[in-house]
Order: sequence, then C-alpha cells, then structure tokens
Amino acid sequence: MPAGSNDFEKGLRVRSRAAVRVGFFDALQHPSWRRKDRGMLFEGRKKAFEGAVDAYYDDLYRYAYWLCRNHWQAEDVVQEALSRAWRNWSGLREARALKSWLFTIVHNEFMRAAKRSRFVSSEFDADSLESDAPADPSAAIELRRALRILSEESRQALLLQVLGGFNCAEIAAMLGMREGAVMTRLSRARQALRRKLEPDDYAMEANIS
Amino acid sequence: MNCLELRRMAMLDPRQLGEAAMEHAEQCDACREFLSRTFQFETELAQTLRVPVPDGARGRAVRGAASPTSARQPRWMALAAGLLLAVALGVALVWPRNDPMALAGIDFVVFEEAQAILDAKPVEPEVLRRVVAQLGITLPDQLGEVRYTGVCPFAGGFAHHLVVKTAMGKVTILLMPDRRIDVRVVAAARGLAAIVTPVAGGSVAIVAGSQPSVARAEMILTSS
Repeated sequence: MPAGSNDFEKGLRVRSRAAVRVGFFDALQHPSWRRKDRGMLFEGRKKAFEGAVDAYYDDLYRYAYWLCRNHWQAEDVVQEALSRAWRNWSGLREARALKSWLFTIVHNEFMRAAKRSRFVSSEFDADSLESDAPADPSAAIELRRALRILSEESRQALLLQVLGGFNCAEIAAMLGMREGAVMTRLSRARQALRRKLEPDDYAMEANIS
Repeated sequence: MNCLELRRMAMLDPRQLGEAAMEHAEQCDACREFLSRTFQFETELAQTLRVPVPDGARGRAVRGAASPTSARQPRWMALAAGLLLAVALGVALVWPRNDPMALAGIDFVVFEEAQAILDAKPVEPEVLRRVVAQLGITLPDQLGEVRYTGVCPFAGGFAHHLVVKTAMGKVTILLMPDRRIDVRVVAAARGLAAIVTPVAGGSVAIVAGSQPSVARAEMILTSS
C-alpha cells in the first residue's frame, strides 16, 4: 500500500461519517461547530489530501509529463489539477475512486491547457535520457522516439494503463470512450511500438500468428 | 486457448493474462518466446515512462493546493483585480489633489478675509503697481473692479490682498512677491475653488466661487 494511504482513508472515513450525519457543509455551518471543530475538520481534510498526494503524485506527474512532454508544464498541470481536486475534495465519496478521479482531473486540466494553447507543442528530447536508470539506455531512447508515432488517444490509453494501472473499463470511463475502442487503441499502440522497435521479431511473430 | 487468442490478450494487457494463457505458453514454444519478449518490452516501457519527478514538486503541490485560503482564484479574477488596481492608481495619479497652499487660500477667504478687510491698512496704488510689475502680471480693467487692496498675513508670510468684483462674481487675489513655487497647484473646498500659480517674480493665489471664475482671472492676470 502506498505511503500515506492509511492517513487518507482514515480522514475520508471520518469525513464521510460527518457527511452522512448532517451533510458536510451543513456540518460546517452549524452553530454547534466551534472554531476548534472546524479547524480540526480542516486539518483532517488536509491530512487526507496530503496522503492522497503522497500516494499518487509521482504517477500523476509522469502522466502529465508524457502528455505535455515538458517538465515545467507537467508540474504546472498537476499543480492546477490538485488545486481543483482540493476545492472539490468534499464531493469525493469513495476512496476507491480517488486514483482514477485524480488522473481524470489531470487529464482534463491538460486538455483545458492545450485548448487555451497555453502549451507550445514541444518535441521529445529524444537524445536526453530522463528515465530512472534504464537497463538499456539506447533502447530507452529508441522507445521514447517510438512513443512519438502513437496517436494522442492511443498514447493516453497506454499511459493510463502502464503508469496508472487502470483496466480498459476504467480507461474508457476516464477518456470518455467505449471500452472496445480503448481495447483497440491499446492493441494498436503496442503493435506500433513493437513494429518500430523490433521490426524483425515482429514480422516473424506476425507470420506465426 | 490458441496462439492467436494469447497474442491478442498479450497485446491488450500483458499483466492480465490468465491461467489459461500461461498453460498454453507452457506447451507452446513460440508463444512462450513471444511472451518472454512481451514481458521484456513491458518492463522497458514501464521503465522508460518512469521519468524522474523533480525534487520538492510534491511539497510545492500540497502547499499550493491545500492552503487554508482554499487554493487559487480563477485567473480572470486575478486579471480583473490587477486591472482595477491599475485604473485606481491611474485615477489617483491624475485626479487633482487639494494642495495645502491652495487650501490655505480658501481657508483665508472663508475665515479671515472679512477680519483682514476690517483690520488691514490699505495699500498705496503706487506700491501695488510696483508689486504687480515685480510679479510680471497685469491688472487690466477687463479683470473687474478692484474693491479692496490691503496687506495681510498669509501662509507664514505677507500677501497683497485684492478683492475684485468680476463678471463671474467675487474673486480674491493674493499677490506673494517673495513666495516662489515650482508648479501650479489647485484645491476645491467649502464651495470655493483656488489655484496658486507661479509667476515671474513670485506667486499668485486666486480664490473664487467656481473653477471657471478662477481660470478666467488667472488667464487675465498672466496674459501679459
């Protein structure tokens, strides 16, 4: 279990009980809630939020990085997404949905930023090696180059599966696609990458199948 | 399960291969080899996607998002606030402010002028002509009828005090031959308008019931 998950789930349980009794915001407004109580509730929320960020920040950042292809923009997108998540934190009801909720917010934030043309589309820096100590650096560079050939939707689906660990149904919900379309994109993405990186092996396997 | 089904499943999500797929791979050399390369490829892919996260980014994200003030306001609000501030600053800079000396002229007219007229010694016409010449201004008939002249204390010194009946009402003029100022200053208070304007040999304060009346007197005085 990722670090911080316990804190997050405890915080969410406490908050959910309060929400069930009187409604979260009603509870905040009720006169019986003294300043101290509200402070404790805020601290509880904050602790739960921090637990969630601890647990998922790295994956969210990497997902944003591969969408934006730029470290600064990725950090900006995740920052905006987490601000949005914090503002809507009280609307979250299921701890199980947290991870996909955060990934969806990052995805939407990226789409918003791209729509506003805030991002100048940058090419991959294919010659630089930024992954965490890859076993074969040259293969990693080739793979980074190969990722450029994927369509935006195929790449997003593949990133969500590999980085986020989501299944096809979850990816479909996050990207607003049908599950079948996600399956097609995932298969095509892997085929395209392997065709590019292992042309001989891939041709042989294609003949076998 | 056959070879085709296994390969389809592996290309879709190699982590989700079931028992049937693994059993097939145990009996099929080609599929076993395919799966071996597939797993190797997936490992490389996952490793490549794991770009390093910048130091401190997580802390910055928490601090930025979960502040007690509930994070950021929309950008348009920040833009609007900035615009409003710029407009307010511009207005504050351009808007005429009451200058203390011009205000002193108004206070003189309101609180002291009547007493000054009673107490002050009238100025000799010759003296007045000399002062006017020293200041580099004129007192043409066009200005109006001079009803009173005298010398009175004003703003820490003495001024030659004139009360003139003009076409636009009463105008008080204070001639200050030894009081030099750098810029023209204005004030409006107590229903009166005032200016103090620099002239060649000193300065002149003009107080009247309206801004146009002050402006007219200033124009006539300084048009020589």
